[in-house]
This record gives sequence, structure tokens and C-alpha cells, in this order.
Amino acid sequence: MDLTYTAEEEQFRQELRTWLAENIPTEWTVPGYWATLSDEESFEKRREWEARKTAAGFSGIQWPVEYGGRGGTPAMKAIYDEETVRAHAPQTVNVLGLTFLAPTIMAIGTEEQKAEIIGPMLRNEVIWCQGFSEPGAGSDLAAVATRGVLDGDEYVVNGQKIWTTNAMHGDKIFTIVRTEAGSEKHKGLSMLLIDMDQPGVEARPLKQMSGASEFGEVFFTDARVPAKDCLGEIGQGWRTAMLLLSFERGASGVGQYTEFRRQYDEIVAEAKRFGRAEDPVARQELARCLVELECLRYHAMHILTQVEQGRDLGSESSMTKLQWSEAFQDLWEAFEHVLGPEATLSAPRPDVDLSPFHAQDHWSRSVTIWGGSSQVQRNIVAERVLGLPR
Amino acid sequence: MFFALTDEQQAFASTVTEFLAERFDLEAVRGVVEDTDGDGHPLTLWKGLADQGALAVLVPEEHDGLGLGLLDAQVVARALGAGVAPGPWLATVLAAEAVRIAGSAEQQSRWLPALAAGETVGTVALRGEGGAWDGSGITVDVNDGRLNGSASPVDYPAVAGLIVVAATDASGTPGLYLVEADASGLTVRDQHTYDGTARVGAIEFADTPAEALPGGDAAAVRALLARGAVLNAADLVGVAREALTRTVAYDRDRNQFGVPVGSFQALKHALADLHVAVTMAEHAVLFAAHALDTDDPGAAIAVAVAGSKASDAAWNATGAMIQFFGGIGFTWEHEAHFFYKRARRRAPLFGSAAEHREALATLTM
Ligand SMILES: Cc1cc2nc3c(=O)[nH]c(=O)nc-3n(C[C@H](O)[C@H](O)[C@H](O)COP(=O)(O)OP(=O)(O)OC[C@H]3O[C@@H](n4cnc5c(N)ncnc54)[C@H](O)[C@@H]3O)c2cc1C
Repeated sequence: MDLTYTAEEEQFRQELRTWLAENIPTEWTVPGYWATLSDEESFEKRREWEARKTAAGFSGIQWPVEYGGRGGTPAMKAIYDEETVRAHAPQTVNVLGLTFLAPTIMAIGTEEQKAEIIGPMLRNEVIWCQGFSEPGAGSDLAAVATRGVLDGDEYVVNGQKIWTTNAMHGDKIFTIVRTEAGSEKHKGLSMLLIDMDQPGVEARPLKQMSGASEFGEVFFTDARVPAKDCLGEIGQGWRTAMLLLSFERGASGVGQYTEFRRQYDEIVAEAKRFGRAEDPVARQELARCLVELECLRYHAMHILTQVEQGRDLGSESSMTKLQWSEAFQDLWEAFEHVLGPEATLSAPRPDVDLSPFHAQDHWSRSVTIWGGSSQVQRNIVAERVLGLPR
Repeated sequence: MFFALTDEQQAFASTVTEFLAERFDLEAVRGVVEDTDGDGHPLTLWKGLADQGALAVLVPEEHDGLGLGLLDAQVVARALGAGVAPGPWLATVLAAEAVRIAGSAEQQSRWLPALAAGETVGTVALRGEGGAWDGSGITVDVNDGRLNGSASPVDYPAVAGLIVVAATDASGTPGLYLVEADASGLTVRDQHTYDGTARVGAIEFADTPAEALPGGDAAAVRALLARGAVLNAADLVGVAREALTRTVAYDRDRNQFGVPVGSFQALKHALADLHVAVTMAEHAVLFAAHALDTDDPGAAIAVAVAGSKASDAAWNATGAMIQFFGGIGFTWEHEAHFFYKRARRRAPLFGSAAEHREALATLTM
């Protein structure tokens, strides 16, 4: 084994570190800073930050230079994830576009789509939403009912999407739409790229258990989309969607570990403050969480190795999703257990503010639902990795 | 970044696995398990392992060893766990490690070639009944080169020619000492473990002459315990993976209610979770072995993670094996109990899952 990075990769780390040190305001590094802002403020700050970062050449680390990327290696992306977390940089606001849509466009988009979509996305000029889920099509993604009917050289779209992240900020949305009347399940679907700034599209916020409204509903009422704004072939939307979803993999575990490990340390600090750190049961519980976080770290190095060797992770990425989401959720369960009644109080003492902890705690309930619920991931591991019958 | 086994390491693992499949399969294991009066040390297996270099992995080349690292050694441990193979492999490798880490040049040239070739069986006595695995659980005293006290459980004491003993001197400082099998004042009592794939016993020392390992200080004791923990974890990971693979294969074909039981989601989800857990335990053992090989400052954390994760994974996977084979899994004829009992016996060695977690808490809280 060789767990070091190359000289070139370490050089990149240094450059990035220096730039981050010069560009991250100190206030951002205060734990829980982002939780003190309104949705609007936080979004605008992050949008502006992203544009600055792109201008400095620290976006699209793994993307080819021709698309405005840096042409880096998977290891550089891992370093990027680690360093940005370490420096308390905020998460990108265009995560769905950058993670899923951009690589899909690079793989199967038309020349026009490549030219028009990728650059503005990278610079955060256009924020993308993912319109897959519907009220009746969640885990059963192929059950989509939103329809698109060809009228001249445009599709007319009617239907509803739900749980759409950034619905209130989105400029465009990549959707799965049934474009073949009477078709069922995986057949007759298309991936349409729809402009959200038009009369037939209405976004409504949904209030989450945390009180925030990061997601919402999107209603299409005779919304129009040019036929050329279909990604992949018409009627082949399922295939496009599967390709798109396959891009949620790679080296992100390294950054996740860094973030979760910091949270572990913060929880330990609170446990000490409230006199819970010597309790043998509490110690066992926290250590159990740490075991899973450390395993996530090792697993991330394993995944990075696979990616660097050009292996297709396929269903193995479901294991990764299970490991990180369950480990993260368990950590916040431990927070509640270990701190006891103080855990639910935002200001248990005059000098203590636990509200950022509550934001994480509440967020942790969502990670085992979105991106394919834990139950769906277990089905995938059982059927496609272990080969158990359907 | 290369977090994986090299082709050579994989090939090494395959030779041991293939050797076991051809020359020491589960029928042979059963022979040892059912021969309750036997010494549990079949020579065909022992010679075969010696021929493969499985005993020489960690021994330096100048002492006729392969001079490799724990990462290489753990592939052997994993294969032996998967084959639930009996014998004093781990005990012998650890005895050699003690001599390598803490022995004088003379002690090294006397013992290492013999241990590497399998001519001498070694074992380690590092803790007394009820004691902890951090060096504080030693119940042997040393005075003027003589040992008094007891150690338990010790692997294969009856066939060992060389015993490495951890003992504390008058000032309470732990050290490592060599005792030969024919030394005076040495009593070995068979403790009859329920895991028939091993023979363990207690050793009583009564004014037993011993030779100190000059480098055998508290740090050396801890280093030896850490190595034992990682190799033990590798064995457990092998047990866990094999138990899971056999269970999945069975549930794929076993029909009830007109369908394979493996199509029931209750089983699928449990097996998927076990697969994730066993995979994470495999990664954890790799990382811990590498951390010790490279003197990584985070090695103590890595060892505790590997020790606890592998323990839990093997414990859970072997329990699930019996459950998901149904009635047949509870029979003597079925092999599930070999895996179950080995996991249960090994899980607490070199630190239980809970002890490793407590160590982690101390390191990070
Ligand atoms: C914070 C957040 C952000 C999201 N962002 C987006 C977004 O931007 N775009 C988007 O398109 N969607 C988004 N989603 C939606 C998300 O993808 C879905 O919620 C998810 O796929 C689950 O679908 P569902 O909510 O309809 O639950 P359901 O599918 O109805 O599931 C209900 C329960 O049944 C279980 N279940 C379902 N099927 C099975 C099965 N086969 N076997 C066993 N159990 C099963 C589930 O695990 C769950 O526990 C977001 C969700 C959240 C929580």
C-alpha cells in the first residue's frame, strides 16, 4: 500500500491551502456560522464565493480544461474535498448540476449543450435543480407521471416534482418526463432540461423539520421546452438517468470523513463540558461512532484507488452511501444520547449555543432518505453485489 | 494513493487458500475438532504452511525469513481464518515477533530461523486470567531471572518449544522473557476450549528459569500486543467473510414458500448490512497493518478500530450464519459452529471490541 499523494498532488494541496487561507473570512470558521444566516443570505454568500473560487481556478478540479476545469486527477479532487472542509469553506450551491449533470453532458451531450451549459454552471451563473422525484415516484423513480407532449419543435410539460433541492433558487431543472403517451415504467421517458424562469413553472418552498426550506415543489403547467433541450435520446430518459446517477461516486468520502471527524471532536468537547465524557456507556457509544467514521476514511482511500485505476465502481457505490450516511446519522444519535436532556436545549447555559448542533442532528435524518434510501441501497447491495434473487 | 493489496500479496493469499482447499479442507478441520484428546497440531498442515513461507513472513531475511510486513502476514491470517484452520500459526509468528523486536543478536539467530521454518513451535503468554490486554493484565512476576505466577489463555502451550512470557519485575515494570518447554517449574494445564479449531491452556510458573529479551520493555510489550491484535483481527475478518459467503450461497438456493429464502427482504437487508460491515473490517485491518508497518503516528487508533470492527463483524456474521441456515445450521454435522465458535473464542483476544473502544475513547476524548 502507498497512502501518500504524488508531489504534483501535494503541490496542488499547497496552492489550494494558501488560496483558501487568504480567501476564507475568519467568521466562517466559527462552528455553526452558516446556521446563523437566513437561507437567502447563506445562498447569496455561497454563490458569490463559488464564482470567486472558479475565477481562481479551483473549481471543476477533475474536469477537462476545455470545459473550464482544472484537468486534475481523482486524487486532486479528494485533496480538494479535504482541504475545503478543513478550511471551513461552504458547500457548493450548484451541487446537483456539478455532480450529476455536468459529467453526463460531457459524456453524451450535444456540442451545443456542452458549450452552453457547463461554463455558466461552473461559474454559478446558472443554478441547476434535479427534478426526478414526484409525489408518486420516489424510490420507484420510473413511476413518473409528469408528461411532455410535442408541439412543433417544443415539448409542452405538465405535472409536478417534489423534494426539489434549491427549488426556490433554481434557474434550470433537469427532469425525467414521460414523453411517450401511454408508456409505462422505464419506457418512453426523456430527460428534459427545462427553464424554470417561465410562466408555466411555479416553485413553492417546503418547510423542512429543521425549519429551513432548502427543498420545494415544482409545478409545470404547459411549460415549454425546446426539443433540442433533451439530454440523450428522446424516449431514452431512463438510460440517461442511470448514467447521470452513476456519477455520484468517486473520492468524496475523504472530504466527508474530514467533516464528520471534526463533528465528532465537537461533540466530544460538548460531552466534556457537560461532564459526560467519563461515563463508560457514553464513551462506548462515541467510540463506536468513531470506528465507523475511521472505516469511512479507509473505505474512501480504497474507493479512490479503484477510481484511479479506472475501475467502474458500479453497485459498490451503494455500500459507500450506506457507510457514510449511517455513520453520520449514528454520530448524531450519539450526540442526543450522550448529552441527555441538555442535547435538546439551544442554550443550556448562557455561554453555550447548541443550535448549529441541532441543525446537523436534524439534517442527519435526511441523508438516509435522499440519493436512494438506505432500504433501496440495501436491496442493491443484496441483489447486485451479493447476487441474491429479486 | 494505493489502498489495496499488491498482486504479490494477492497471489500469496491464494497460495495459502488453495493449499487449505486441497490439503486441509473442512473435513480435515472436522477431524481435528472431533479429536478432542489430540494436540490440534496436524503436521501436514504445519509443514505445508512452513513450505509456503507462511511462518517466515515477518522474520528478517538474514534469519532465513521473507522479511515482509504485517500487511503480508495479515493475508495469511485471513486465509487461515477463512479456512478455520487449526494450529499455532499466530502463536508462533508472535513469538518470533517478540524475538525480532526485543531479542539480542544471539537470541535472534538462535530462534528466528527455527521459528520461521516451523522446526520450533512458539507461543506467547502475555496476560493472566481476567486481565486486560494493555500490558496491565500481567500476572507473572520476575525476580533474579525466575518467573512465578500464571498466564491464561495461552495458545498451544503443550506443543510449544518456546514460550515468550510477559512478566513484571519488582518495580512493576513489564518485560518479555523466553522460557523453553523443558524448563523446570513449568506446568501446563489444558483448558479445553469449546472452539475445537484451537488448543489453549494455562501455564503456571514456579521459580521457572527465564532469559530476558534485552529490548523487552513496556513499549515492546505494547508493540507485541498491537501486532497480535491486528493479526487476530485479520483471522476474524477471514472467518466473517467466509461465514457470510457460505450463508449467501445457501440462501440463494434454499426454497421455502416456493421461492428462494434469499429473495426475502428481511434476509437481504441483514446480509447487505453484514457485507458492508465485513468489507469495512477488511479495510480497517489493511489500514492498521500498514500503519504498524510504517510507524504511522495514528497506529494506535487504527489498531483499536480494526480490533473492534473485526470482532463485531465476525461475531455478527457467524451468529447470522447459524440463523440463516435454519435448523441445519444448528447441527453438529454442519460447519457453521466451527465459524461461530472460532469467532467467539477469538473476539476477546488482544482486547475485546469494548476494550478497543475504550482505548479509542482514551485516545480521542
Ligand atoms: C433533503 C432532501 C433533498 C432531496 N432533494 C431532491 C432533489 O433535489 N431532487 C429530487 O428529484 N429528489 C430529491 N429528494 C427526494 C428523494 O430522492 C426521495 O425522497 C427518495 O428517493 C425517497 O422517495 P420518497 O420520499 O418518495 O419515499 P418512498 O419511496 O415513498 O419511501 C418510503 C419508505 O419506504 C421505503 N422503501 C421504498 N421502496 C422500498 C423498497 N423497494 N424496499 C424497501 N423499502 C422501500 C423507503 O426506504 C422509505 O423508508 C430529496 C429528499 C430529501 C429528503
